[in-house]
Amino acid sequence: MTAKLLEVSNLKTYFFTRSGVVKAVDDVSFAMQPGQRLGVVGESGCGKSVTALSVMRLIASPPGKIVGGEINFNGEDMLEKSQVELTDIRGSKISMIFQDPMTSLNPVFNVGFQIAETVKRHRKDLSNEQAWRRAVEMLDLVRIPDAKRRAKNYPHEFSGGMRQRVMIAIALVCNPQLLIADEPTTALDVTIQAQVLELMKGLSHEFSTALMLITHDLGVVAGMCQHVNVMYAGHVVESAPVQQIFETPAHPYTLGLLQSLPRLNERRGSKLTPIKGQPPDLTNPPASCSYAPRCPKVQNRCRMERPQLMRVGRGEQEAACFYPN
Amino acid sequence: MLQFLTKRLIGLLFVILGVTFLTFIMGYFAPGDPIVQLLGQHFSRAEYLQLKHAYGLDLPWYQQYYNFLKHLVQFDFGYSYQYKNRAVWDILKDGVPISAELGLWALLIQVLVGVPLGIFSALKANSWLDTTNMGVMLAIYAVPVFVLGVLVQVAIVWLDQHVGFGWPAANWGNAWSYSWSDIQFKLFPILVYAATGVAYFARLSRTSMLEVLRQDYVRTARAKGMTERVVVYRHAFGNILIPIITYLGYAISFLVAGAFFIELIFNIPGIADITLSSIQNLDYPVIQATTVLLAVVVVLGNLLADILYTVVDPRIKVS
Amino acid sequence: MDTKDQQSESVSPGVMLPDTTLVPTILTPDTGTYPIEGDQKKKSTSPLQDSLRRLRRDKRAMVSIGVIVFFIVLALIGPPIYQHVGGPYQSSVNGVVGPSQYHSFSYEELGQNTQDQLPSAHNWLGTDEIGRDILARLMQGVLISLAVALVVELVDIALGVLIGVLAGYYGGWIDQLLARFTDLMFAFPGLLFVILIAGIFGNWADIHLSKIPVVGPNGNARLLLVSLALAFTTWPLMARYVRGQTLQLKEQQFIEAARSSGTSSWGIIIRHIIPNLFSLVIVVATLDISNTIIGEAGISFLGLGVQAPGSSIGLMIAAGSQQILAGHFWEVLVPCCVLAAIVLAFSFLGDGLRDAFDPKSKD
Repeated sequence: MTAKLLEVSNLKTYFFTRSGVVKAVDDVSFAMQPGQRLGVVGESGCGKSVTALSVMRLIASPPGKIVGGEINFNGEDMLEKSQVELTDIRGSKISMIFQDPMTSLNPVFNVGFQIAETVKRHRKDLSNEQAWRRAVEMLDLVRIPDAKRRAKNYPHEFSGGMRQRVMIAIALVCNPQLLIADEPTTALDVTIQAQVLELMKGLSHEFSTALMLITHDLGVVAGMCQHVNVMYAGHVVESAPVQQIFETPAHPYTLGLLQSLPRLNERRGSKLTPIKGQPPDLTNPPASCSYAPRCPKVQNRCRMERPQLMRVGRGEQEAACFYPN
Repeated sequence: MLQFLTKRLIGLLFVILGVTFLTFIMGYFAPGDPIVQLLGQHFSRAEYLQLKHAYGLDLPWYQQYYNFLKHLVQFDFGYSYQYKNRAVWDILKDGVPISAELGLWALLIQVLVGVPLGIFSALKANSWLDTTNMGVMLAIYAVPVFVLGVLVQVAIVWLDQHVGFGWPAANWGNAWSYSWSDIQFKLFPILVYAATGVAYFARLSRTSMLEVLRQDYVRTARAKGMTERVVVYRHAFGNILIPIITYLGYAISFLVAGAFFIELIFNIPGIADITLSSIQNLDYPVIQATTVLLAVVVVLGNLLADILYTVVDPRIKVS
Repeated sequence: MDTKDQQSESVSPGVMLPDTTLVPTILTPDTGTYPIEGDQKKKSTSPLQDSLRRLRRDKRAMVSIGVIVFFIVLALIGPPIYQHVGGPYQSSVNGVVGPSQYHSFSYEELGQNTQDQLPSAHNWLGTDEIGRDILARLMQGVLISLAVALVVELVDIALGVLIGVLAGYYGGWIDQLLARFTDLMFAFPGLLFVILIAGIFGNWADIHLSKIPVVGPNGNARLLLVSLALAFTTWPLMARYVRGQTLQLKEQQFIEAARSSGTSSWGIIIRHIIPNLFSLVIVVATLDISNTIIGEAGISFLGLGVQAPGSSIGLMIAAGSQQILAGHFWEVLVPCCVLAAIVLAFSFLGDGLRDAFDPKSKD
């Protein structure tokens, strides 16, 4: 078996606020292989972003804190690393891009500088000129036209889609082993979305970069990922290869998500079927299955204990449910 | 960028025009007849008309304004009403370097002390250092400059009487020279003069820094693997320069206002001091000259801030 | 199309929803409470009540209110009370005088050991360099400060709101004019303007404005002039803020709704825009009061405002500062501390009001 690139075990990340302790990530475990494209799906507040930030050790502390679990990257314990070591890893071994491209770039530096800066940070052996050339190469790679000239432009001179490409360039310039993308296309127009996703998929394939794609959009996941984790209320409730998620969803939540997607072939006038109820209060998670209040198939046992991820059927599908599909 | 600067320049010219017009109007409508004052007790109507003509005061107002402007651009401020043989410029010229020295030092201290204090506070936000610092800054900022000046004077005199401190509590040394005696005269007035601005820049820098550190691009910088040092002093700092420079124009404006109090309290013979005495004596040419001078200083200060803007904010640099 | 939506109840991915997350935004310092489910079950309170509740929790603001009320009461009922305290007094210079005289702010006592005195039973806060009672002068000075602040704020609010709303709502030439005007005001230090007006027209005001009833002689005419000059330099900033807020309000949907239901422009302004300016105007006015009090004190300090025998805090500081070299610190420290206290109180109150009305603007 190939060595795992990333292994997260029983991760718990809590936020200590004035109104209570928010258990944003409450016992999450998963793993990634080198070059694998993993989708992490869930609604707002389910803990997917916090998981990613925990891996990068970018949780603001106060009020956040990783209170338990292990994060192993390339066999090394991320939680034991010093701040200096972490800054060496970020941007060169693990990179992250974020949701809003309009505000993610520094307005006072030109884009070439922002890319070259990353190069210079992690490749101290390169000269300024070489770093700049590398930056222009990357801009070319992410298909910014006229890269040489545009490298000197400032962020405000680019559109949203192009800024996101610049972000991708920054993230990939040092050839990281893992790229985490937190809702990278949510803020973009649908047509641009497709382009940017294609770009990411292509580059990930070309450079064998593992990709953790976080999104609330199941449609995005379908085209991009090989494996999918579904998260709810701070933990993973289903984990399966992408085909199985869509064809044989095991967890009732996954089923609910799929059913609520509007379809092109629905009858006119038919209602959407949303999931009834609201996500639970993360400061006071119940000891029961967190989905129980909204689950159409809830049984007594669900209300009393919390299910762990268990294998379902044959193959690699797992679901945290006592009565999976 | 050029567009931006040209637009601002035009705006500022408009301001200067407005100010000169206001000053002129004030002189024109001011109560009292300067010719009468010049002539004293006994004079004939002929003498009156002759003198009035000599001063050009029998012309219609727009022509007087035009003459006024014409002389202004040639730096001809006319002659004082009170000191009949002294040119206004002669009266002013000694005060200019003194006020300039006061003002420049104060501005320098405001920026070079205030901003780092604010950044320091922001980096240690909500610690006791931060809370105390900001509390002190608020107190200094809220208390008017003349109260601060008077209190400092009290302190100097008290220290002198009880501990033999020996520093002067008033007067100025020689303009632009820094012997030990000069420093003793100048240190406290400059510090008091700068105090309010230091407090404001500190509060402004703190707020701006905290806001910038919350921004997405700071998160990006950290995700890129930049050290915290680089994040703060390169990525964050560049962005707080914009609000700081914006305030620079106002800071200069407040310095001009504060000069009146500082020069009065510490008995410093600068421009503001001259303005005050010329007001008391209703010496209009001097009043007009100093007003225009001070307004020009404020305008130039704003222009400087605008130019700095174009250097610091790329959205203006390239538009 | 079926309109029975259950928007806030349901979640459906693939459809963009506002982020009603229960988890704090990443990488931000802890800035406040997070919306927790339980809150919605409490009784709903109006925004005004919420703001007042937040204000009451702000200790600095509450103390400031106390300080301000104290000084108002002191200025209003202090003098009549003080002028009835104490018995007849044998003055070496002025014969037998009662407290209604020696506890008034203009009474001078130039005998031996009657000037520059520290507090005593006779003069509760001591006397100044010509034997005047400091407490009496202080109370009068505070009264003057508050009176000037009142007049200036009335003009400031009236003009500022009127012009600001018109500029924001209609735009056009009013807006352009306001912009040019405020540019001028910002470039030309307001204080300089007031100094010039007070200095040049001071005498004229004494002579001509005293004839207006209510104003009368006793230096009040000059005060009126100073007040008007201060008001003139203060309203542009208020108008600027009001204009900004009006612009924001104008874009909101409830204005659109009112307009499409036929409300006239004027009606919209009066019924919808102005009530929503309330919190902004209160905050700005409070901070303006602080600046006005400083302005009046400053002008009087420079000798261009209230003149002797009248009293103003600024005048007291100026007179007191002449006595510093002689070692008489008390008479300058008292008005300094009082001025600092009043100004700080209004500043803290203004800050507190701003945080109460808009907690998000806090750090």
